[in-house]
Formats: sequence, C-alpha cells, structure tokens
Amino acid sequence: MNYFNQTKDKRGVVTLTFDTPEKPVNILCFDALYQLEQILDILQKDSSVKILFIESAKKSIFIAGADIKEIKAFQDEKEIVKTLSRAQAVLSTLGNLPFATVSVIDGACLGGGLELAMACDYRLATNDEHTRLGLVEVSLGIIPGLGGTQRLPKLVGYQKAIELITASKRLKGDKALKLGLVDASVPSGYLSFKKEEFIQDILDGTLADRTTKIRRRVTWYEKIFPLKSIIAQLAKASVIAKTEGHYPAPVKAIEVLEKTLNMPMEEGLKVERETFAPLALSEISKNLIELFFTSEVLKKETFSRAKPRAVKETVVIGTGTMGAGIAWALTNRDIPVRLGARNMKSIVRAFSAIMADFENVKRRGRLTDREIALKMDRVTCTTEMDGLSRSDFVIEAVSEDPKIKQAVYTQLEEHLAEDAIVATNTSSLSVTDLAADTVHPERFVGMHFFNPVAKMPLVEVIAGAKTNAKTIATVVGLTKKLGKTPIKVKECAGFLVNRTLLPYLNEAAKMFEEGESVEHIDKVLKAFGMPMGPFTLADEVGLDIGKKVSDILFESYGERMKPSPLLAQMTEKNWLGKKTGKGFYLHQGKQLTFNTEVQSLQCGKTVLDEQTILDRAILIMVNEASRCLEEKVVANARYLDMAMVMGTGFPAFRGGLLRYADSLGVAEVVRRLSEFETHYSERFRVSGLLLKMLEKKQTFYGNM
Amino acid sequence: MNRKKIKNKKERIAIVTALRTPMAKAGGKFARMQADQLGAVLFRELMMRSSIGFEEVDEVIIGNVAQPIHAANIARVIALRAGFPESIPALTVHRNCASGMESITTAAARIYAGEGKVYVCGGVESMSNIPLVYNEKMTLLFEKLARSKSALDKVRTLLGFRPAFLKPIIGLMSGLTDPVSGLLMGSTAEVLAQDFGISREEQDFFSFMSHQKAAKAKENGRFAQESMTLVYDEVSGKYLDFDDGIREDQTMEKLARLHPFFDRKNGTVTAGNSSQITDAAAGVVLLSESEAQKRGLEPLGYLTEYAYAGLEPKRMGLGPVFAAHKLFKKTGFSMKDMEIVEINEAFAAQVIACEKAFASDLFAQIHLGAKKAVGAIDPSILNVNGGAVALGHPVGMTGTRLVLTILHELRHRGRQRGLATLCIGGGQGAALLLEVE
Repeated sequence: MNYFNQTKDKRGVVTLTFDTPEKPVNILCFDALYQLEQILDILQKDSSVKILFIESAKKSIFIAGADIKEIKAFQDEKEIVKTLSRAQAVLSTLGNLPFATVSVIDGACLGGGLELAMACDYRLATNDEHTRLGLVEVSLGIIPGLGGTQRLPKLVGYQKAIELITASKRLKGDKALKLGLVDASVPSGYLSFKKEEFIQDILDGTLADRTTKIRRRVTWYEKIFPLKSIIAQLAKASVIAKTEGHYPAPVKAIEVLEKTLNMPMEEGLKVERETFAPLALSEISKNLIELFFTSEVLKKETFSRAKPRAVKETVVIGTGTMGAGIAWALTNRDIPVRLGARNMKSIVRAFSAIMADFENVKRRGRLTDREIALKMDRVTCTTEMDGLSRSDFVIEAVSEDPKIKQAVYTQLEEHLAEDAIVATNTSSLSVTDLAADTVHPERFVGMHFFNPVAKMPLVEVIAGAKTNAKTIATVVGLTKKLGKTPIKVKECAGFLVNRTLLPYLNEAAKMFEEGESVEHIDKVLKAFGMPMGPFTLADEVGLDIGKKVSDILFESYGERMKPSPLLAQMTEKNWLGKKTGKGFYLHQGKQLTFNTEVQSLQCGKTVLDEQTILDRAILIMVNEASRCLEEKVVANARYLDMAMVMGTGFPAFRGGLLRYADSLGVAEVVRRLSEFETHYSERFRVSGLLLKMLEKKQTFYGNM
Repeated sequence: MNRKKIKNKKERIAIVTALRTPMAKAGGKFARMQADQLGAVLFRELMMRSSIGFEEVDEVIIGNVAQPIHAANIARVIALRAGFPESIPALTVHRNCASGMESITTAAARIYAGEGKVYVCGGVESMSNIPLVYNEKMTLLFEKLARSKSALDKVRTLLGFRPAFLKPIIGLMSGLTDPVSGLLMGSTAEVLAQDFGISREEQDFFSFMSHQKAAKAKENGRFAQESMTLVYDEVSGKYLDFDDGIREDQTMEKLARLHPFFDRKNGTVTAGNSSQITDAAAGVVLLSESEAQKRGLEPLGYLTEYAYAGLEPKRMGLGPVFAAHKLFKKTGFSMKDMEIVEINEAFAAQVIACEKAFASDLFAQIHLGAKKAVGAIDPSILNVNGGAVALGHPVGMTGTRLVLTILHELRHRGRQRGLATLCIGGGQGAALLLEVE
C-alpha cells in the first residue's frame, strides 16, 4: 500500500501528500509511519530539497489520529515499547531534517496526527470549522506516545500543555495560533497564498524569527523546582476531583510532563513510551477503546433499510421538563419547533427553560446572543393546536397518562398533515397500545429521551407493532441530527434502560429496608464509578416517578420486580426527593444530608460487606440485561452497554454493564447470583442466557 | 352592492391570512424587542397559520418608518429571521404613517403588473427603540477628533468640548416633525382644531369614546380574533395577549386634567386626545382573487381599489378627505356605500376635522374642485372598535392594522364593504376600499 504521494518543484519544495488508500480518512498506522521512515531517509540525503510540506489528500481531515485497532491489539509491554521506540524515531528524524518542514493542516489533526505535525518545524492551519487540533489520547485511557508529551510544552508551555492533554481539548485553528501550537491560521481559501508566503519566508530565512515570537514555549519559571511540581500537583488534584480517581491516564500524563520537562528529548521519549505501555494494556484503556468502537458503529447504524424523510418543521406537545428539553435540542440544531400546550403559562415556562439551556451554552462560549436570538426566532407556540399543518414531525411529551396522550393524538390528527410522524416520549407506556386508536399507527413511534435532555446523549427508539421502516429511519435520522445517539429497542415495559436500571434501584432499597445505611450503599456504588449512588439518584428523579415506573414494571415482570414498599411509604409522606426537599436525603441548597426520619422505615440494622452490596446492586442489573439480550430487546451486548453508559452514566472506564460482567467472568456472575438466590430471594434467579453462556463457555463480547 | 359602478374594473386582491401582534405601549412590554425581532415573530406566526407555504411567496414587502440602523432593509432581515427561504427577495417600503398600507398596495401593483402572484406584506414599528442621536456639535467634535493626528492635537480638540454638546436629538420627536412646515404632528392637529373650531371637550369626548369602544371590543374577544399572543421576554417567560394601551377606566375628568402638549398656552391637543406611542407589527398574505380561487382558498377579504393623495403638509390631518375623494372618483362608489369606515386616530381633533370636511360642500368646492361634499360619515360606522387613541399608532404598522380590523369587522357584522383611510405626515392621505366575499 502506498500512503504518500510525493511531488517536487524546481525550487526544491517537496510536497508529501498523505492519502490512505481506499479510506475516507487518514489514520496514522505503523505501516504509514514506516513508509514515511523510508521516504525521509531518501530526502535526508538529497541536498536539492529546501522545504518539505506534509499535506493530506482527504477532505476536512489532516490525520484523524493513530490507528486504535493497533493499540487495542497490543499484548505485551516490551513489544509496545519497541514499536513505539521505532515510531518515535521516525518523528525524530522528521524533526531533525536538514531542511525546513511544514505541515499543512486543513481538517481534523488529532492524537498521532498532531504529534506528527508537531515534529515539523512549522504548522500552517486553516481556521475553517472542520479544523481541530488536539492530543485526545487520555479519552481512550492512554497518553500521547509519539512525542506529544515532549513537543507540546515546547510550543504552548508546560502548564497549558497539561491542560490541553488532560482535558483532551480539540482546538480550532485561531485558538491554536493564539497558543502558539500553529504558526498561521487562515481561511482554507487563502491556503495556497499562505503556503507561497511560507516558502518565500523560509527561503529568505525570515520565518523562524517570526514564529519564535508566536510560540509561548516553556517559561523560565515553569522549569524551576517548586513551581513545576506545584503546577503538576494542582492539575492532578483537579483531574482527580473530576474523575473520582477512576481514570489513571490523565494523571500519568501529568507525571510524564513533570518528570521530563527538563530532560533531553531522547530521555523524555523513553519515559513517555514506558509510561504508555502499561496504560495501553490496561483494562480501562481497552474498555474505553471498545466503547469508542461501539460509538463508531452506532454512528453508521440506521436500524432501518428505508430512507428517512426530511424533517423541516416540528411540533412538541407538552411543555414540561422533557418537552422543553426536547424543544431546546431541536432549536439548538436549527430545526423549527412549534410548542403546543394547554395554556400560555406552561408555554412560557418552556421558553424560560430553553433560554436557560442556551445560557449554559453561551457561558461556555459556544454561542453568541445573536446566534441564540436567530435560533429562538424559529420557536413558535400555540394553545389551540393550530398552525400545525406544515409540520412533518410531532413529539408528544405530555404527562404519562394513556388517556391524556390518546386525547392529544386524536386532536393532532385533526390538524396535522396527512403524512406527519407522531413520536411519543413515553418512558414506560406501550407504544402499540398508545397507537391503537390512531389513524396512522404506521407513522407512530416511541422516542424516549432522557432527563436532562440537554446533557443526556441517548434516545431509545421504540417501534410499535405497526410502525413502518420509514418512520424508524426518520426518527433515527432526526436523533442523530440532534447530536444524540439513537438505539432501537424492542417494545417492552421500561424499554431497555429503565428496565435494566430499576432492579438496581430496587435492590438498593431492599438492602436499606434490611437495615443497611443509605450513605454506605451510595458510597460503595459511587466508588464503583456510578455517577451518583442509587438513593441520590432516586431523590433526583423523584420517588413518585420511581413508584410509577416500578408499578408498571412489576405488573409486566412479576415477582422479580416487586417494588420495595418504601416507595409507597415515602410517596405517601410526600418525601419525594429533591422536588419536595426531602427524600432519602434532606435537600437544602446543594447540600445533601441524610434524612434520619427514613430510618423509621427500616426493619433492623445490618452491615453488609462492600462486595455484597456491590454485587447485589450490579449483578441483578447484569441478570436483567441478559434477559433483555435473550428477548432481543436490543440488538447486541455492545449497544446495550452503550445505552447503559449514555442513559444511566454507567462508568465508561468499565466498558459498560456486560463488559464488566465479562471481566468478572460468566461463571463468577452465575455463582454470585445463585448464592443470592438461595440467601435472599428468587429475584436473583439466573437468566436462561447466562446459564447457556456458562455451559458453552461464552462471553458477552465474544459471542457477538 | 352594485359592482357595475366600478369604472375601470380591476381584479381584486385577496387577503388570505392576516395577523397582528398585541399593541404594547412604547417603553413598556416590547421595549426590549427591536423592530426586526418583533417582525420576525409576527411573520413566522402568520406563515404558520397560513395555508400558503414560505416557499410559495414571491416577495416580502414590509412597511417601517423608523428604520433601525442595525437592520438596513428591515424587510429582508425580518424575512430571513422569520424563516423565508434565502432565495425570496424582500423590500422595505416607507410612506410614513401609511407604510403598512403601502406594502399592501405595492404588492397589488406588482400583481397587476404580472410580476408575481403571492406576496407577504405588513408593517412593523418599535417606537421604543427609536434612538437618540448626537447633535451636530458633538458629531463635529467626533469628526475632528478622528482627524487629529498627534496626542496633543487630540487634547486640543477635546478641550473644545462643552456639556451642551451632549444634548441629544430625540429621534422620535424629529421623526414626528414635518421638516417643511417645521411643525410637530400634534401642532398640525392644533391647526385643524383652529380651522374647524373643535373644542377641547369635543376632542376629549371623542378620545373617551375611543377607549370605551376599544375596551368593549377587547372584552368581547373581538381583538383576539385578529391578534396573536406574543412572548416578549423569553428568559423570564412573559407574554402579552391584549392591547395594553386601552384604558377601561378612562374618564372625561381624567382627560380634562391633562395639559396641552403642543401649544401650552392656547392649545387643545393633549397626550390623552392624541394617538399613543406604541410598538407592534401586523402582516397579511395576499394574492389575486383568481389565483386564490384557483388554489381553492377562502380569503378573509379583498382589496378592491386604493388611492393616495397629497395636500398641504401643515394640514396633513385632512389627508383622508383628499384620498377618499380620489378613491370614490376612481371606483364610482360614494360614502353611502361604505358599511364600515376606519379613519386612523392620529389625533382626535384631526378625525373630527375630517368628519367635518367630509360633510362640507364648501370644503369640497374649495379644496377638491367638486360641487358637493365627499359625503358625511355615519358616526355609528366610524372606528367602531376605537382607534389609535386607545390602541396606539405604531406608525409603520397602523396601515396594515386598519385593513385587518375592517375585514374582521365586516365579517363580524355580515357586511360587505368598508373604507380604511389615514392621514400621513408630510401631507398625504391614503384610502383603501376593502370588501369581503
């Protein structure tokens, strides 16, 4: 395979164009690097070469990163160190060529791509929207391994380099120029002039002076002992605060930067690759990479062979928290929305909520007031269900009451165009039943968003019995347009995520009833990596909602989902959680303190060991998830894991619920579940799928 | 009635959808909405309610008087913000107080000329946002400063500054001053009051009745038929669904207490018997009658004919008499054929003067070269839901509002024909003949 095309003009300007054959993107695989090694070897000896440009033949991509499959395939530390050592040497050769080198970055320049670009003397970037530069390795549980930790500080300074690497920041061209990461940032239309200017300045010998002024470089005070480690300590503390210490890669990256700051390049590279190797082999990195692959698969997944309809005008009926959130998501992506509700009061509450979401975006510097105003121009409202005739897509988000929902559909049918799609944002009702009396059940579908819509990336797509393929394709397309991930699930009570999550909450409640403390249980599960403990979550969602959902699941799944009587007791006392200020915790401002009153609902006092708490809460979920797989509620374990990570915040570093089960081993999962079944109740009865897997020695990820 | 009276018969222009925002007192509810935003909200909602699609429109034509500096050709800004495709052109028209009618008649002329078939027209005005302007001296100082090269030069220039330079020109007042006669609009109303001997009490009573009629229309839900609910503060979630200038508790006593504004010594024109300063927008979707028929649309009503006329700027308030005279001559109709008449209430004195002039043979002989009066107006069909004294007069918008209100009122009463007319600052009058069915 030939990765590079080479041209040379009479001035001695060589242009190497990176063009991975038969792929839409450039990935820096080892093969490409070795080929570069050979090319550089020849160029090095050619005294007629004055300048080397490295460019990309791909539209809107420079180099998207290193080949993750190769990293995932690594088996052995020594092998990694050896491979990296050679790869690092290629970039060092690039860095030490006897003539000037320039990378021309017009598109994504990430990870290994940026490491290559940094090895060049100069970087010429475009400030187009598609140009993004960043060392994003830590998001995959590794650190830069091709000299990124060595070259970045030399351009942007030590402290800034730590910040960019630990946060996996992706910079636009202009920002990269400001930090000194690139030496020019111009519109792509001006790239050819700018390139010519660079050639002139290099030949005249003036470019080096000019660029030195741009680069921030490591300042003298960053190098001295106390400041150097103080900066590192502060950065570490903030990383640990953010990740709860579950992610070692950013911490390791800081350590490498600190340790190697004053070292010569060669020694620094050695530290880098030796730190890289164990991280690349770690479970965490493999898990994160696996999830990354799943997300890539899901990006292409359409869940339907039909072509989606274009969605030009939408309607959101019901302007509560969910309706307002969905309306924001549509508005944010410039899809016109008409809000429908019974009265203006609830409509303007939605307006406020939408503006509050925009305020958050604005605070992060992503949108200006002008842009927000233009988006808001497309939000209209009605209390009469009028002006809907031009809409192609309606999302109904009224309260979870089939009677109210069906009344809305009947009303909608009077006003909607004949071919409009109606999606319900139900979290627990049957889509088929809801569609029963509609005139067009084939264009009726479930579209389950998660709360808060602005932050939660998952949407469960549920086909009713009569929903047609075009409708599914349209919902999937629209969800992606909203920047969210659609996962199609088969219709069943609670769908996938709530059905799997509820046994976890229930089990926590059972442990509490038995006498375990709320704080202890929450602590154990938070330490496991859940974004919040089950009781904090229950308070957040609201006990009344929890009760409603549990009742529905109990009705469908019977004994194993029998809700804890706590829910009813607490709902009765109006201890609904955050919204009433009192639940398992007392909510005063942001402060959470244990609500001692709930102790009266406990049977006794127990102290379980942490492993038991963890296993009871998590393995009961694994068991339910395996039933979902068995019943084909979701296509495969990968999608299920992604749904749990995105829908419930299940820790990504564990790779997802079923990948975690795989790491324990099916035998262990079955053993523990059987133990619990004997000790506690039948609700732990091992699913058919798990038993079958045990028998056939299968794993969730192995038998896909 | 009798269509054969029409002399040069043209096809009628069908108005298929019409909508306005509530009228909000300037400096109040809509104060933080610029005219283009107000227009964007109205025109998007208008289109949402119309059976005509955005992409079917040939051009967007919008009247606006105090064209904001940040939105040159405000019609284009509004069209884009409201969601019209970029390929559809837009034009802002300005005929002062008749801008909201001009947009409609411009479209009519284009339809007659065969330039297009479907037009979206209307008027918008945010009188709250008419800016204050630096006066000439301050502007000169800025210019000098920009030309000063050295720091010393700059200091020297700045030393020429006097506090009086900061006295702004109030854009609203300048806009309401006729530069030819040098009179404020209110002063032209004083001229008419003197010409026709209209007493303060007569004016106040007219104004009192305007509020009474408007209050009744508001209560009956009559205005709700023609206007939308507008969310004016998206952040704190506030909306307006009524016209907030109407004073249900207006009394003759309260009106009598006000001081004359334009002529403090002898004047009779007060803030209470003048139109209010207001923010609002109104719009219509229109096409030719045959085109509407072809599409199977059921129009709200029709524009049958229109006329504009010029007169002495100092007596611009009599514009309706001149324009209506011209309109009747064109169509063969007379005042007797009108079942509803709207004369915009720029000033109570001005409408009363018009009533008198309409009824006067002498006036017709002197000013219109006619033998007989244009025709007295039956007071029971004049401004039946009140007018600008109660609702306000957002200058660029009013013309469209009069069309809306007449069409709805004709339908409401089961009548067929009405006259919408207004006086225009600078000395003009506009008159539209409107019909339903």
